Amino acid sequence: MGVVGKSIPHESAVGHVTGASQFIDDMPPLHRELIVDVVGSPIAHGRIVSIDIEAAEKIPGVARIFTARDIPGHNTFGPVAKDEHLLADQQVTFLGDPIVLIAAETREAMRAAKKAVKLTIDPLPPLFSIDDAIAADSFLTPERKLERGDVETVLSTAFQEQLHTLQRTLDIGGQDHFYLESHAALAVPGEGGTMHIHSSTQHPSEVQMIVAEVIGVPFNHVVCSCKRMGGGFGGKETQAAQPAAMAAVVAHLTGRPARIIYTKDDDMKFTGKRHPFKAFYKVAFDDNGCLHALDLRLFSNGGCTLDLSAPVLDRALFHIDNAYFIPNIRAIGRVCKTNLPSNTAFRGFGGPQGVAAIENIIQEIAQVLNKDAADIRRINCYGSETSPFAPHNLETPYGQTVQNNVLPKLLDQLAADANYTKRREEISTYNRSPAARTHLKGLALTPVKFGISFTNTMMNQANALVNVYLDGTVIVSTGATEMGQGVHTRIRQLVADDLGIPFHTVLVATTATDKNNNTSPSAASATTDLNGMAALDATTRLRARLAAVAAPVVAPPNMPPSPDTVLFQDGEVFDTRGSGPRSTFRDVVCRAHTQRVNLGERGFYATPNIHFDRDTFKGAPFLYFTNGAACAEVLIDRLTGDMKGLRVDLLMDAGVPINPGIDRGQIIGGFIQGMGWCTTEELKYSDTGALLSHSPTTYKIPNISDVPPIFNVNFFHNDQNHISIKRSKALGEPPLLLGLSVWAAVKDALSYAAGKNEIAPLSLPATNEQILMRLTKLKTPARPAPAPLQSTP
Amino acid sequence: MRDFVLLFVNGCRHEIRGDAAFLPLSDYVRCHCRLTGTKIVCSEGDCGACAVLLGTPALNADRVDYRPITSCIAMVFQLDGAHIITVEGLAKATRSADHMHPVQHAMVACNGAQCGFCTPGFVVSLAGMCEKTASKAAIPEGSLRLGLTGNLCRCTGYEQILDAARSINRADLLPLNEVYPPAEMLPAMRDASATPFQIQTPNKLLYKPTDIPSACKFKQQNPGCTIIAGGTDIGVLINKGKIDPTVLMSVGGLKDSAGIEETDTHLTVGMLATLASFEAAIQTAIPELHQIMIRHGSPLIRNAGTLAGNIVNGSPIGDTMPALMVLNAEVELTGLSGSRRVSMNAFYTGYRKNVLAPDELLTRIIIPKPKQDEILRLYKVSKRWDLDISTFTAAFLLGIKKSAPTNGNGNGHDNLIIAEARVAYGGVGPVILRLPKTEAFLQNKSLSEELMIESGEIACQEIVPISDVRSSGEYRSQLAQNIPLKLFYELGTSADSVH
Repeated sequence: MGVVGKSIPHESAVGHVTGASQFIDDMPPLHRELIVDVVGSPIAHGRIVSIDIEAAEKIPGVARIFTARDIPGHNTFGPVAKDEHLLADQQVTFLGDPIVLIAAETREAMRAAKKAVKLTIDPLPPLFSIDDAIAADSFLTPERKLERGDVETVLSTAFQEQLHTLQRTLDIGGQDHFYLESHAALAVPGEGGTMHIHSSTQHPSEVQMIVAEVIGVPFNHVVCSCKRMGGGFGGKETQAAQPAAMAAVVAHLTGRPARIIYTKDDDMKFTGKRHPFKAFYKVAFDDNGCLHALDLRLFSNGGCTLDLSAPVLDRALFHIDNAYFIPNIRAIGRVCKTNLPSNTAFRGFGGPQGVAAIENIIQEIAQVLNKDAADIRRINCYGSETSPFAPHNLETPYGQTVQNNVLPKLLDQLAADANYTKRREEISTYNRSPAARTHLKGLALTPVKFGISFTNTMMNQANALVNVYLDGTVIVSTGATEMGQGVHTRIRQLVADDLGIPFHTVLVATTATDKNNNTSPSAASATTDLNGMAALDATTRLRARLAAVAAPVVAPPNMPPSPDTVLFQDGEVFDTRGSGPRSTFRDVVCRAHTQRVNLGERGFYATPNIHFDRDTFKGAPFLYFTNGAACAEVLIDRLTGDMKGLRVDLLMDAGVPINPGIDRGQIIGGFIQGMGWCTTEELKYSDTGALLSHSPTTYKIPNISDVPPIFNVNFFHNDQNHISIKRSKALGEPPLLLGLSVWAAVKDALSYAAGKNEIAPLSLPATNEQILMRLTKLKTPARPAPAPLQSTP
Repeated sequence: MRDFVLLFVNGCRHEIRGDAAFLPLSDYVRCHCRLTGTKIVCSEGDCGACAVLLGTPALNADRVDYRPITSCIAMVFQLDGAHIITVEGLAKATRSADHMHPVQHAMVACNGAQCGFCTPGFVVSLAGMCEKTASKAAIPEGSLRLGLTGNLCRCTGYEQILDAARSINRADLLPLNEVYPPAEMLPAMRDASATPFQIQTPNKLLYKPTDIPSACKFKQQNPGCTIIAGGTDIGVLINKGKIDPTVLMSVGGLKDSAGIEETDTHLTVGMLATLASFEAAIQTAIPELHQIMIRHGSPLIRNAGTLAGNIVNGSPIGDTMPALMVLNAEVELTGLSGSRRVSMNAFYTGYRKNVLAPDELLTRIIIPKPKQDEILRLYKVSKRWDLDISTFTAAFLLGIKKSAPTNGNGNGHDNLIIAEARVAYGGVGPVILRLPKTEAFLQNKSLSEELMIESGEIACQEIVPISDVRSSGEYRSQLAQNIPLKLFYELGTSADSVH
């Protein structure tokens, strides 16, 4: 029978475990290949006075050195605004901003050449933080406003209406992608000015176009291909283009293959990250904690150029409600311009920051009202029966109704599965016991509702090419790129089932722009949704043609041929009307070829029924919502601030999973990555804007020992998502937002050390340092503040 | 003298001469052997993607012992006489028809791999664990996580890797000594281990002695030469361009220097004893220190690095030294004219500076075990619990005597008198600091909550913490203040069991 719904191992798993899978740095060196690297600005903001490459050029083993003026085509590009340069020629806007491109024969020559380049740059005053940028009125975008109802009136009459109000701020940190494979590209020049780029990219089409523009050739002269990435997480959606273009410039101008592999340190120092955010909020709520109005301003740190900051901010605003109905809301967002590397897409794409803001508010409401935050969440969630706004509590602030809403049921089920009520009592008892002299426990149950589709409606399209060969095997190619998420495995499953052939007879080709043109990036969780649908669009037509060929062969005796009743299953082809002769897929394919029937097909898909008006911030931008919830319990050492996750329960509404094994991996992996963002992953910069935590020694992603010892993962039963492929739901990003449950549990634990109605502030990430310093300032610290500090050298 | 490094890679003999001898092993296997399964991510030993198995001759048996190390910070010349098995070389270690090591099979079946970039490292670490535990029983749950703290994964969230680790079919495992028969390699490996070599290139001079006098002589004749044993610090500095040593001495071949001897009162650790073997030795001898050692670096690092190297490297946030200082450990320094002993408390003279003379090597570490009436407590605070460099460290050795019960105010310790206190803090100054004022304050006092709070305040006045990438100075001060109280609370009723 079919393979959709089965836990087929990742299609590259055997290659991965044996070391046979090739990444760009693993491809054998080509004849006369050059090594490519860059010298960037040593300061974060300044004007270039002089670039001296004379000494560097003379070093033996240095092939060529290029600056901006050597670029044959355009030096500027950008996914939304063309505000980025490949090589700076006048101004530098972040520390590391590339200025000089070096092509060398050996690593030793490269090292020497990098040292020999002399740059003179006049410094300009830099900006780094959101606060700096606000003070300097430095922004990359105009304000974006999402509004519904009458926030002003509700907030100004809150007192008369016996509503509580709260006005505070929240700082939300950024995050490095820390994909294991750093940025990498290999450019191979071809005949007649053509170029083949092997890139570790989530967006081959964009790499193709930017490379073509930079080297000054038409788009059809450049092929970009991507076999796989060693992780992407959004970091290779737009920013794979720069290294690819650098390699391409060298290859184009020297006629030699050129490869660039970033070191992990350079990758972390000089490429964009998840946007730090700052939220200023005022909220009104009633005695039950039910939200009445939210007035919020969100600022994101976009870095030096726009990149994808505008849609990231939009998605933060789209998710400022998370799973909660907020009748009156005004959320205004703006992207700050600073002198950091341009921040970019990162799994969740602004959603996590928006959700962090509202989950923080919920925790604080609970603290003000002395209630369990889980109850506040339950009463506010979309479709909650206990809300005073029920049953009119299903419409999002941007006007899209939450269809097939599962949130109340999902929250109740997880609370039951995780034994929430009993554990809350146990934790409260523990936190009042003598053990609480040294340790505190915290518990939180947080939901997620994540909108699936690119909010830029145009991007919700995909094409696929399916070729059938005469032995009955199939190659499918789409614009989907494989970064470990298993999209190629899922597409093989979908195509195999649709053609009724074994999984192993279907292969997915290396993603490349000469087979699939003008593709969207593998992003927004929608890669399987879009590309799987496009592949099935092709196989549907192929199958119909093959059915017509097979019909006369497999028709039961004395029945007319009936293509409509021909079934393809397990490699066999037969007529469902009765016991006619059986044929095989392979025989039908050969017969079709003999009859000169086309054995290849192109498929296309455009997500239906979605729309969004950017100006009014209203519409139905999402095809559906993926939901989930997490319950996390943490233990905090009051004397060191160390935090340990004790138990996590995840319940994920994945619709009907296409591949439960792979989907489980997406859920757990996303959760732990989100937990890292919320806890130990701290980006630290020097006063001059140099990233100090630029390698795993100083930047701490979760370790295997950080995974809570009790870790339960379940799928919520939901077979009603008929609008998506095989009733599945997209899973790439939503679980990441559940990592916030750990952060909320820390905040919950701190609340036990706070006085009655005192709010325990906590920014994100909740490092052990922050936890201890916050605890020390709370009303009932385990310890008094330390003696005055000695002078610090 | 021999002018090449002898290495076996997946059973094949390599004689490595010239510049290639100075490469990180990861580069050698990837570029020279075209074995690209070994991945390079961080080049600093902190992610484990480059893990390979290091095989060395067993001490008293005709067998090769294998342990996983990070190949990115192990230089080829350090590995003279070793057998390296990469992820590609593991597939043969199976009795199954699928031509995959049982670890590889389990990782496929349990979705242990997503993007695949960290996967070879996990496979190697797990295969190393299988080799280490000879029995066919599953790897104990507790050892699993501890054994994998050196491998970072960004995709899976680790759960499915743990699933894989639990489901390894040990019955299918073909031991590596059967896959790579030692008889074919051992004589050459032992011969290489026992003989010196020297490699001279236009830019570099490298010497591997096999006896201590030769080593001392070379050190004296080449002031400032870089000495490498495990290389877990030096390798990082080389890779990151912080140093580019032109004269190097690889001391890994020194005879009879890797042993650890235990008596009733002392442990004596040879200069080449790895942190891993030290960790094993103190599990019962000094269990409190063992708790710190299992968080020191990672198994991959501890399998390569040495205790002596950790001491000589002299980082103010080194994990082993605070304990050695409060235990009044001594180091044996050997030069051309013989040996002398220096207390750990007198070894450092400044930031990463020590009393070693130009001809001297640190050859042994002599560590007194805590006595029956002594309480040893050690603390390490780091941003992440495992595989992280310390933000702050602390060591307490309290000599305890019991006095007659007083009126008692309910805290349980008021009958315990601190006869002697030794306190060392790390991460709060240019060197690890003993805190004489705090020690004097604690001496002959009755253990109480108030006493420990006050001692924390005194400790704060003895330190000069700075703000850096790991934490603020304020956090370090607060920890300095809190740790004595944490110790007090932790003693709880267990202090009553002190004789």
